[in-house]
Amino acid sequence: MISPSGAGGAFLRRQQMSSQGLTAGAQVLLGHLVLVPLAGIAAALASPAGMDAISDVFTGRIARNMLWVPLTNTFLIGFVVALACLLLGGFLAWLVTMTDMPLRGPIGVLAALPFMIPTFAVALSWTVLFGDDRLGQSSMGFFAQLGFDVPSWLAWGGVPVTIVLIAHLYSIAYLMIVAALVLVGRDLTAAAEIAGAPRSQILRNIVFPVVTPTLIAAGALCFAEAVSSFSAPAILGLPVRFHTLATRAYGAIETGSPERGFVLIAVMILVAGAFLALSALAQRRGQAFTTVTGKAGHRGRTSLGVWGWPLALTATTVVVLTTIVPALALVFSSLSAQTGALFADPTLHFWIGQSDPGIAQGQAGILRNPQLVLAFWTTLAIGLMTGIAAMLCGLIVGTAISKERYPLRRSLLEQVSFLPLLIPGLAIGAAFISFYGAPIGPLPSLYGTPTILVIAGVAATLPFAVQAVATAREQVARELEESARIAGASQVRILGAITIPLTASKLIAGFVLVFVKMVRDLDLVILLYTPQLPLLTVLAFRYASDGFAQFAHAIAAVILVISVAAHLLASGLGRNAQPWLKDQ
Amino acid sequence: MKRIITTALLASATLFGPPAVADPSADLIAAATDEGTVTVYSFTSRVFKVEQAFEAAYPGIDLIPFDISSTEQITRLQSELDAGIANADVAYLADASVVVGALVEPGHLEAYVPDAFADRIPDQFKSPLLAHRLSTKVLMYNEEANPDGAPVSNLWELTTADWTGRVVMVDPSTRGDNLDHLTEITLQSDAMADAYKAHFGTDIALGSDIQNAGQQFIADLMQNDVIFVSSTDDVNAAVGAVGQDNPPIGFTSYSDRRDNEEEGWALQVANGVAPAPGIIYPAFLGMVENAPNPNAAKLLIEFMMGDNCCSGGVALEPFYVAGDYLTRTDLAPHPDAIPLSDFNAWRIDPEATGAARTDVADLVLSLQ
Repeated sequence: MISPSGAGGAFLRRQQMSSQGLTAGAQVLLGHLVLVPLAGIAAALASPAGMDAISDVFTGRIARNMLWVPLTNTFLIGFVVALACLLLGGFLAWLVTMTDMPLRGPIGVLAALPFMIPTFAVALSWTVLFGDDRLGQSSMGFFAQLGFDVPSWLAWGGVPVTIVLIAHLYSIAYLMIVAALVLVGRDLTAAAEIAGAPRSQILRNIVFPVVTPTLIAAGALCFAEAVSSFSAPAILGLPVRFHTLATRAYGAIETGSPERGFVLIAVMILVAGAFLALSALAQRRGQAFTTVTGKAGHRGRTSLGVWGWPLALTATTVVVLTTIVPALALVFSSLSAQTGALFADPTLHFWIGQSDPGIAQGQAGILRNPQLVLAFWTTLAIGLMTGIAAMLCGLIVGTAISKERYPLRRSLLEQVSFLPLLIPGLAIGAAFISFYGAPIGPLPSLYGTPTILVIAGVAATLPFAVQAVATAREQVARELEESARIAGASQVRILGAITIPLTASKLIAGFVLVFVKMVRDLDLVILLYTPQLPLLTVLAFRYASDGFAQFAHAIAAVILVISVAAHLLASGLGRNAQPWLKDQ
Repeated sequence: MKRIITTALLASATLFGPPAVADPSADLIAAATDEGTVTVYSFTSRVFKVEQAFEAAYPGIDLIPFDISSTEQITRLQSELDAGIANADVAYLADASVVVGALVEPGHLEAYVPDAFADRIPDQFKSPLLAHRLSTKVLMYNEEANPDGAPVSNLWELTTADWTGRVVMVDPSTRGDNLDHLTEITLQSDAMADAYKAHFGTDIALGSDIQNAGQQFIADLMQNDVIFVSSTDDVNAAVGAVGQDNPPIGFTSYSDRRDNEEEGWALQVANGVAPAPGIIYPAFLGMVENAPNPNAAKLLIEFMMGDNCCSGGVALEPFYVAGDYLTRTDLAPHPDAIPLSDFNAWRIDPEATGAARTDVADLVLSLQ
């Protein structure tokens, strides 16, 4: 609502009020989304049952297998995954942005995809390919069926969990490092090259210093994601009794000892949080370098010479193994009468088959199963609603952060809005159950409602939404907003008439990221869903654990298609999504 | 031939058995049809077969089935009812040792015994909830690979090198009936000690922190790389799949033998194993507190108890199988099954099991 403003005093007052209103709104949002659920867990731990659980988990006879061994496993996985992701993602990022490697276009597109593929889908595809005869000859994977002797350590436990997580998470590192390398600007390296510096020195003295903060951030993010992953160890760990904090926490909560689960979840939050805090400290030391950029005069790519094609083949192998191969394994498995016998006895039963009492207790193919059709639409609806709600919250919080003039308050808003990054999805789910699961005063319980899924989804994706809003806002010249404000426009009006239209493409990209995270997420929703509110990922996980592998694989393939389609659609919308692929 | 004998036996049971079971009252059917749907949480995937039979019998009522383990049902029903929400109408579950304290005593589940069956179900199966049948967790082997009978005759053999990494069971930390089984083994420690001596010829020596022969068995089994899986169907496929030259052995439901033909399994119970092949326990049908469709819930429970036709009719067909012992007294035992009186499994005492199971759960956790 634009209304001419008469007195200058009134104008100033209104400005103050609208800024305060925004901050207050952001505080309320953050409080309910982030702090209150965490307080719920803390309260559960402070109860007598919680105190007992703490002493059982830390010092009881179960301590070793409930806490210390899973904690060690979790740590090891986190470190190895973070390191491998940095190496793999960094290597690919360098090849794609800085060199003249052949095929770098398609390789760059594929390298961004693994993050869109659900972890549990990759884990399931691992069992399809590498399962051994530990669970009997009928559930052997493809290679074992062919007669290869698949060693047990490759089929189950820490090694496959680590590999699956690397295959999923290296693309985060890739995307972040690509963005940083683009920032380096080839002009800097070109200048050094012209000055006669050898390649090793360019890497050491120019590239590494500039991208170091990003490397640390990417490593920390991969570590946090790996530490909190539930689905990969749940699928690949159980047959050899390999547990992480996440699987132990889930087991405790689902079998009637929620307090013990909360203890483990508190430990997970502390571990991931400590690591991210360390990385923030380390980053602060390197930040001075990031400002060194300039206009590119000459942009040259490092010539790989005879190494071009071998490196291109290596990179292609990596991206194909982590995208196309798992997808194909799932699709072919869902078309096979027997899990690992991929090309024998093809059947469409698990997709479109009529109910046959002889197969899977008479359950029809997934496209005929009303619960799955319901789950399909529920998943899409929850994804869309969460996307919209998260972006709205992101707009409020993001705008409040940029408008807040008191540095302390501003930094507090910032920190809290990024807190969910440290909290495993499973923990967010547990926190929301513990807090919103019972009626609060006159408000009804949210247990089993779509609302609780959407709110938890918003909480989990808030950092991404706020970040998307922040980068989008950077594009809008401040003068535009200032002049609207001077003309007397309200904060809402400025958002609606200026900020949102000008930042639409970035906001849509943020929305799609949130949508995809929701659609493919299992960790967050596994504790929140109810049978009346089925979600595709949960159904796939349940089918997998109930021994109906092909149904699980078919659903995983559907999720994969939705995620990748949304991602490709979004990158088609933002035409300049990957400018580093262009030759300039 | 077997089928003819079965039919004859059943026919005779019908002819000379008690008077016909009355059909559900027209009032109940009308009220249930008005409600239009009934939601059931079931610990067995056979609920999908019940769904088809029920909807064929009552086309106006949509049965919404959910296959949820007993353990998870308990957690979910507690969360839902504490939140003041009733999502389900009927719960079909085992885990008697927990169900009584966690769901029946707080009033979350109520017993409903249809009048028509009141005089043909023993009193012990009418409370705390209506017992539909007795279910089992017992040692099963692959009869195709072992045509001469079970490859083991004593549970302690499972702790020897012959069976390293070849004993499969559902993770007792996630499924109550498997935890109840291990708990029963510790409660039967005298029998376990006798069996130890019978097999090894010496008295059992207990390790440190081990209090009895049952706990020692659990420790030795875990030491021998027992394989934990997430569902009984995984056990069945691992143990039962035909065409294996050296199949594992495992603890699963005797009644899963019914799926041998359809699934390509060769499961058979090792009933002769000393001291006992496993446990036998009730599977309950309960009405959920404040069920949104109470009449449809009653109708479904009555339906699931079967009718007067042959072996209990289409509703009982999925359960009239070898290895499930129906609680109705007017039905002939399944001809292919070991009669209940000859079945060696331990009958669990829910109260004693309930008191001991947390300790056993922690023992299992501490041993992994």
